Formats: sequence, C-alpha cells, structure tokens
Amino acid sequence: MNPEELIASGKLEMYVCGALPEDEALEVQEAIQTFPEVRREVELIEESLLHLAETVAPPVQAMSWTAILNAIRNINTSEDTKVRSLNLPAIIGWAAAILFMGGIMWMLKQTNDLNESIQVTTTENTVLREEKVKVESQLAENTEVLEVLRSKDYQAYTLPGNQAVAPEAFAKVYLNKKDNVAYIDTKGLPAPPRGKVYQVWSLKMDPLTPTSVGLISAENEMGEGIYKFVNFPDPEAFGITLEPEGGSEAPTLSQLYTLGMITI
Amino acid sequence: MEQPNDLIIEMQNGNEKAFSRLYTMYSEAIYGIIYSIVLDEKTAEELLQDVFIKVWNNASSYSVNKGRFFTWLLNIARNAAIDETRSKAFKNSRKNLSTTNFVDILSSSDSLNRKTNAIGIKKFVDALKPACIKIIDLLYFKGYTQAEASKTLEIPLGTIKTRSRTCINELRVMVLG
Repeated sequence: MNPEELIASGKLEMYVCGALPEDEALEVQEAIQTFPEVRREVELIEESLLHLAETVAPPVQAMSWTAILNAIRNINTSEDTKVRSLNLPAIIGWAAAILFMGGIMWMLKQTNDLNESIQVTTTENTVLREEKVKVESQLAENTEVLEVLRSKDYQAYTLPGNQAVAPEAFAKVYLNKKDNVAYIDTKGLPAPPRGKVYQVWSLKMDPLTPTSVGLISAENEMGEGIYKFVNFPDPEAFGITLEPEGGSEAPTLSQLYTLGMITI
Repeated sequence: MEQPNDLIIEMQNGNEKAFSRLYTMYSEAIYGIIYSIVLDEKTAEELLQDVFIKVWNNASSYSVNKGRFFTWLLNIARNAAIDETRSKAFKNSRKNLSTTNFVDILSSSDSLNRKTNAIGIKKFVDALKPACIKIIDLLYFKGYTQAEASKTLEIPLGTIKTRSRTCINELRVMVLG
C-alpha cells in the first residue's frame, strides 16, 4: 500500500483511535516512520480528535494537577521516609522489649537466689536448733551426773584392774544402795575391740553369783563415758568383763577387766 | 501537531516539569473522553487524576516507536472509565448511559461558549450526520475496535474505515480549517 492509498484507506483514523488490529497498526507505524506525508496526516487526524474531545470536556479543575503532583510525590517521599521513620520506632520498640525481658530475667534470678539462700538459712537454723537441743540435753545429763557426785546418797568405789588381763584399767562406780542406782565411769577402761562390748556384773560372794547389770552401751550412757544402771540385786562386788556383742548370760572370767568389792 | 517526543522521554526519566507540560497538552482531551463515558464531573475528575498517576508510574511501558502517545493515553483513560462504569457503586448511582454520546453532551452543555474553536465545532455537530456521530462515538470515545464497531453497527469492515475517514475529515475541515 503506497502512502496515498494508506491515507485514503481510513486506517490512519482507526490507528489514532486505537481501533486497528496489531498487524495493521504495525504497518501504519512503519509507514509513519518512512513517509513524512503519512506522519503529517496522522498528526492532523490526532489534532482534530484532540480538539473534539477537549470541546466535550467540562472545565478541568486546577486542583486535579495538584492532586496528581501530591500523589506522585507521596509515592516517592513515602518510600524515602519508610526507610527512616519506620525503622526508628521499630528499633526503639525492640530495644524496649529486650530491656524489659532482660529486667524480668534478672528479677527472676534475684528471686531464685533469695529463695535458695532462704532455704540454706532454714537448713542451717534446723541444724543449729538440733545442735542446741543436743547440747541442752547433754548439759542436763552432765548436771544430773554432777548432782549424783555431790549427793550424799551415792558412795564412790574404784574397781581396780585385773592384774592378769588389764593391770592399768580401772572403773569408778557411784552407787545408791537405797535405790539400787549405779553410775559407772568407764574413763579408765581401754576402748573395746570391734565386735566386743563391756558388760557389768553384780556379784554375790558366797556362793559366787554373778548377775548381769547391763552393757556399757549408748542406751545407758548419761554423759561422756558415764553409764547409768538400775534394777539389779544388792551387790557385794562389781565386775566388768569383755563380752561378744549383745552380752552374755554368764561372765567370761578370762576377760575380767576390773573387779572391786563394795564395802559399806 | 507533532508528538513531543523529547518531553515524553524526559518524563520517562522522572522529570516532573516535562510531565506537567504533557498534562497541559493532553489532560483536557483525556478529561473529555472520560467525561463522555462516565457523564459525572466529580467521577471524571477523580479518574483523570488516576489516569495521569498511572501514566507517570507506568511511563516506561510506552515507547515512542510503538504507536502514538495520544493513543496510549486514550486506551488508559477509556479503560479506567469503562472499568468505573462497571463498578457496583457506579451502577447504583447512575442509569442507562450507553445511549448518550458526545453530541448529546455538546448540545446540553454550555462548554461550547468557552471554547476557542467553538463555532467550528458547533457547525460540525450541527452538520454531522447521525452515521458519523455513531461511528466517532464508538471508535474514538468508547474505544471499540473496528471489528466490534462493524458488528455493532452492522456495517462491513471496509465501510467502517472509509466512513470514519470521511467523518473525521469533515471534522478536520471545520476544526483546523
């Protein structure tokens, strides 16, 4: 199609209106670039149509351009400020949150530490209270022993060591003959070997009759190394033998450590 | 009127001044197109703004080697306006617009009195055959393709082309002298 034919065809009007199919529009586009008369024709068609549309338009408000300008600038500036203004509150927010969490963690730790030290103190108090009770009872026992030693009801006897078994050993007996109560101080006896225990005997001499008074063991201990015995027959003598654990029915005389007469 | 390719390229490079000059050159015609479709000044103003914001944001999608800038603007404007007429809010507020065309607008408005070439246009409109009114309305204002116009008017494709040539030629004589 030569330029004149193209101009006469009505395709240029369609082209300006945007009504041509793509292939035909391409053909017109090429012709516009090749033939100045075609381009000129297109420009005239466009101008006529432009004026027609302008005539139809009510007056355009100046506000419209301002609105457009604000809109396109807002897009630009809002992107700029996004980077700056959105980050700062976010950073402050996160910092505050982290500080807050840190504070809570610190206070929790403080509370835990305090609770622990309260527990430790409570345990210490319990231990101290127990020790106090122990000391008090020991004091009471010692006081009782002291009362015994000072009392006129008690007589003191020394049981000397058996020359054959333990010549260095001795024991002291504080005896209340009226009530048959005896305190025996074992400070002079060697410590019994493992698995053995000292047993105290009350002896009648004629005929020789030994009766067990009891074991030198924790259950009878009153103070340090002082043991209390009750309920035994009137003794004429006291003997202490070394016996197997639990004691024996009759004294093992080969292991008689001390023996002493009770004289009035 | 030669197409201001330098201004278009400057606008594509983000030059607001160039954009402002293009707006001055084309906004009124684009407003006329939009108004002829929505027939409401407030809606047309809002759409005009939307269209030029779109033009700015999508400036790079136009190329001076592919079609006329005015035709590109026309397509954006007609699409925006037609989309608006399809919206629910628009349908609820206005009724049957499809029969109104640019000549009805010209006859009923006083805008002609303010236009520099008003007398020519008035003459043109008075002299315009109903067939021309129809074909310019569909192809130019409503954005029909030649095939759609042919189907709607029940006229062969070739006739559509020659008739639009004749009609726009008449317009041209009166507007441009």
